[in-house]
Amino acid sequence: MLNQIFVAPFVDMFAAPDFLLQVLWEGLVSGILYALIALGFVLIFRSSRIFNFAQGIMVVFAALTLVGLYEMGVPAWVSVVLTLGVMFILAVSIEKIVLRPLVGQPDIILFMATIGITLFLIGLGEIIFGGENKVMITEALGIPTGSVVFEPWGGLLILEEKDITAVGVAGMLVVALLLFLNKTRMGRAIRALGDDPQAALSVGISLQTIWVLVWFIAGIIALVTGVAWGARAGVSFALEVIAYKALPVLMLGGLESITGAIIGGLMIGMLEKLFEIYWGQPILGGNTETWFAFVLALIVLLFRPQGLFGEKIIERV
Amino acid sequence: MRHFTRLAALAAFGAVLGTGTVAQELYAPNLAYRTGPFAATGIPLMNGQRDYMTMLNARDGGIGGVAINFEECETGYSTEKGVECYEKTKGQAIVTQPWSTGITLQVLPKSNVDQIPILAPGYGFSPMADGKVFQWAFNTPASYWDAASMMLEYIGEENLKGKKVAFLHLDHPFGKEPLPLMEKKAADIGFELLPIPVGLKEMQNQSAQWLQIRRERPDYVIMWGWGAMNAGAITEAVKTRFPMDKMIGVWWAGHDADLKIVGEDGKGYKSISFSYPVLDAPLMADIQKYVVDEGKTLSNEEEMQGVFYSRGLVISMILAEGIKVAQEHAGTAEISPSDLRWGLENLNITEARLAELGMTGMVPPFQTTCANHTGHSGGWMLEWDGEKFQKVSDLLQAEAEVIAPLEAQMAAEYAAANEPWPVSACN
Amino acid sequence: MLYRTAGQFKTSYKADQALFPVKQDAILLGVILVFAWVVFPLAASEFTFQTLLIPILIYALAAMGLNILTGYAGQLSLGTAAFMGVGAYACYKMVTLMPWMNPIVAILLSGVFSAGVGVAFGIPSLRIKGFYLAIATLAAQFFLVWLFEKWAWLYNYNASGAIQVPNLEMFGVYVAGPQADSLVQYYVVLAIVSVMTMLCINLTRGTLGRTWKATRDVDIAAELIGINLMKSKLTAFMVSSYIVGVAGALFVFMWRGAAEPNLFDIPLSFRILFIAIIGGLGSILGNYLGAILIVGLPVVLGTLPAALGVPIASSMVEHINVMMVGALIIFFLIIEPHGLAQLWRLIREKLIIWPFPH
Repeated sequence: MLNQIFVAPFVDMFAAPDFLLQVLWEGLVSGILYALIALGFVLIFRSSRIFNFAQGIMVVFAALTLVGLYEMGVPAWVSVVLTLGVMFILAVSIEKIVLRPLVGQPDIILFMATIGITLFLIGLGEIIFGGENKVMITEALGIPTGSVVFEPWGGLLILEEKDITAVGVAGMLVVALLLFLNKTRMGRAIRALGDDPQAALSVGISLQTIWVLVWFIAGIIALVTGVAWGARAGVSFALEVIAYKALPVLMLGGLESITGAIIGGLMIGMLEKLFEIYWGQPILGGNTETWFAFVLALIVLLFRPQGLFGEKIIERV
Repeated sequence: MRHFTRLAALAAFGAVLGTGTVAQELYAPNLAYRTGPFAATGIPLMNGQRDYMTMLNARDGGIGGVAINFEECETGYSTEKGVECYEKTKGQAIVTQPWSTGITLQVLPKSNVDQIPILAPGYGFSPMADGKVFQWAFNTPASYWDAASMMLEYIGEENLKGKKVAFLHLDHPFGKEPLPLMEKKAADIGFELLPIPVGLKEMQNQSAQWLQIRRERPDYVIMWGWGAMNAGAITEAVKTRFPMDKMIGVWWAGHDADLKIVGEDGKGYKSISFSYPVLDAPLMADIQKYVVDEGKTLSNEEEMQGVFYSRGLVISMILAEGIKVAQEHAGTAEISPSDLRWGLENLNITEARLAELGMTGMVPPFQTTCANHTGHSGGWMLEWDGEKFQKVSDLLQAEAEVIAPLEAQMAAEYAAANEPWPVSACN
Repeated sequence: MLYRTAGQFKTSYKADQALFPVKQDAILLGVILVFAWVVFPLAASEFTFQTLLIPILIYALAAMGLNILTGYAGQLSLGTAAFMGVGAYACYKMVTLMPWMNPIVAILLSGVFSAGVGVAFGIPSLRIKGFYLAIATLAAQFFLVWLFEKWAWLYNYNASGAIQVPNLEMFGVYVAGPQADSLVQYYVVLAIVSVMTMLCINLTRGTLGRTWKATRDVDIAAELIGINLMKSKLTAFMVSSYIVGVAGALFVFMWRGAAEPNLFDIPLSFRILFIAIIGGLGSILGNYLGAILIVGLPVVLGTLPAALGVPIASSMVEHINVMMVGALIIFFLIIEPHGLAQLWRLIREKLIIWPFPH
């Protein structure tokens, strides 16, 4: 037993390093996607203290709108623009209908409201687009679909070009986002609101504008995530469940930290894959990915209650 | 005057209700799912089923002169909703079509109390074949154990000995269903069985499962997939370069749309099936004339050419034939649920009957009896040629001598666990 | 007018703090109890029992368990369904290992197991707070459901991986399993839920309840005035998980008849959380109101088109249903964030002073 836990997995890793690399790559790709969803959460949480559970369904909704528009005969890139328009309308309506009346309510109430939004969007999406699994319009968007094959140490390492694209686009998105938050007026306003809402409001930052903006950015991130993930496995409502994976990422990275979301996402993506392949499948009967990330995050939190990158919790009475 | 308007309103309301209940009809509800993660594979089947009944109502005025009310109750593949639908429909229904192994297992114990036949064609609990124990349940024309047995038979015993077979399955009662038979066959033939479960949350992201397949290097992959899991598995298989001709799916994993995602790359993928689309069959012409041209279908041309739509037609045919046999036996068109049970127990779908129905080649002939609720029709192996599924084998038959004792044993265990459970002698 | 409180004088603090300071409340409760114990069972059809009466009671009980933890002790939990699962599987193991055991005793004992598991998963609450804790409870949620799936001993190595309720007898009457009558099951559920409700009302009004509320409001302040936070939080986890576990055993044994592991997955947890929040956190009555709304509404909506003769496909009804539930959650949160219980409190106050505006 001890051998199985402490020795055999590492022997396996060294015996087939190409396979280990493949495992890490697969983990990295899922990790990127977890990180993107977590990023959507963090942005909204920072600026409004709302724990936005609807980020997962926004991913599905954006991807479905894109594919749905394309199927109606709209050219691919026009569909992308129109989808962004839909996400903007969604951001405005969420702000106007749901958030504005709930300003100042306890966190849990706002959290519940986002679950309400989730259910509403599931129903609406199924009425408009139907429940069938759809194929992401990978080729029409010009995303390469081949794969790159390496043969390190005489082994085999397959990297899908669309995964490479996803990693690249996600990286650019993160850089753009960081630039936006640090270098532009609007971006600084978002950060100000996160740091001290009262002070930010008093210097003339408009809460409404910022909220719409933040939800819209979350919508853009959702679209990118939807395209990347949809290219891997098709677009359907079953995608919604990947939203749960972003939660332990948030715990690990801290609810307010953008860096935390990215590093947490990559860490969880790779560690859960490693654990599943080398420990979960041989010893525990597999499928450990459903809980591994949560348990890992829980253990980390026991030592650092604010997450690895979260702001130090200071309590006053 | 006021009194009069109120009366008029009442009359109008009554008329609306009247069309629903007073007219002669048989209520055969379908616990369908057109929503949720399993909708993608459910919809074509439900459309096929519905169109067959619509066609019968339009062409023949129903069955034996009585219209069939083929109402759907939405379950979303959720067991909870399914039970709600069952409770809602059981008052007037002559049949339960649970459409999920989970819902079947839930409704099964109640069947003796409520006395409504359960019709689960090609799914549900395999031991339901034992009609002595499961008097009210039918999984005509073939069970999951039949499917597993036929798949192994197709691969061939000589190709299996000493080899490794990965069993990729949904971690759900449905996916675990063939395990007892597979384990037995693995011991008998002498191959290594490697069960790989796919959790409901991992259906769309099976990279861990396929990494395991890459590491273990199985010689064959047998897939028990459903809903979004199929597309996920097939795309991953293409990605990891698993040889497609070594991958065989159960009949629910042979949906055209899932393979269209990978197109040419999916060439060689196989799926066992008890049905096959025959596009020039007379039945298809009738469907076109009475349903499609009238604008009554929910389907579309592409879907109607697929395996799943035609399987939906076959499934409704089984029910319609059961009703017809029951009507002849009972001597009345308005049959009761127990009449229908008799009908489903005495189905005899011969080649001649299939020709009359205009369905030659769409399903193998089969016959049920009181003791045999499955019929064990056998099936064909279908292969994806890059555009559609083609029949690549003669009619395969499951090994009755292996399956029958296992069925009897598991059925007896079930009855013992659910004491008191009535067992019929079938004389 | 009906709620006029004039003439009901309180002469001691004790009387003022009584459960029913206003006579009409007691009468109203009496009427409701008569309906629940006599009128509904006589009038209800099989369908009503199975889709409304029994599930509403069981969901209300589960929400009450969650409310103890979240509403009274302030610890947000998203893992309720998994603890229900622990109760259900414990009950299943007990009745299959010891078939002689009285089913009601088994159901009440099964809560003990979930209480134990609840305390174990409650320990992190001593260090983790707020949303972090909520996500931590998800660890329990996902891990336990995985365990139900993988630990074959729990479902007696059944090939399908699902548990099936056997026919259970008590005093010559079937109370669980396919042979049991809905009416009998309803009375069993009603009895257990009534007793539990009484227990909860007393607990939350007593010392323990006040300790929990202090912990919820400002935990550091509570600690400073000498409340043992560990004891307070862990008792909340224990009591809450006990009730939730009993609700889980009832859920499977008195209603569903069979269960597969993913029944206890996250959608069920959310459903119970909806009930608790829409009903009102920190209220016992709210759980019932919330359960009536969340369980009853989809059933009513589902039967409505057929009753009105409007031809809508059942899948469309289901889609609209999901949308409506989502919209209603938002609607109720906006009009009354403190839930239906608070709404009733406001109505009652208006009734008391009626016809005067103030």
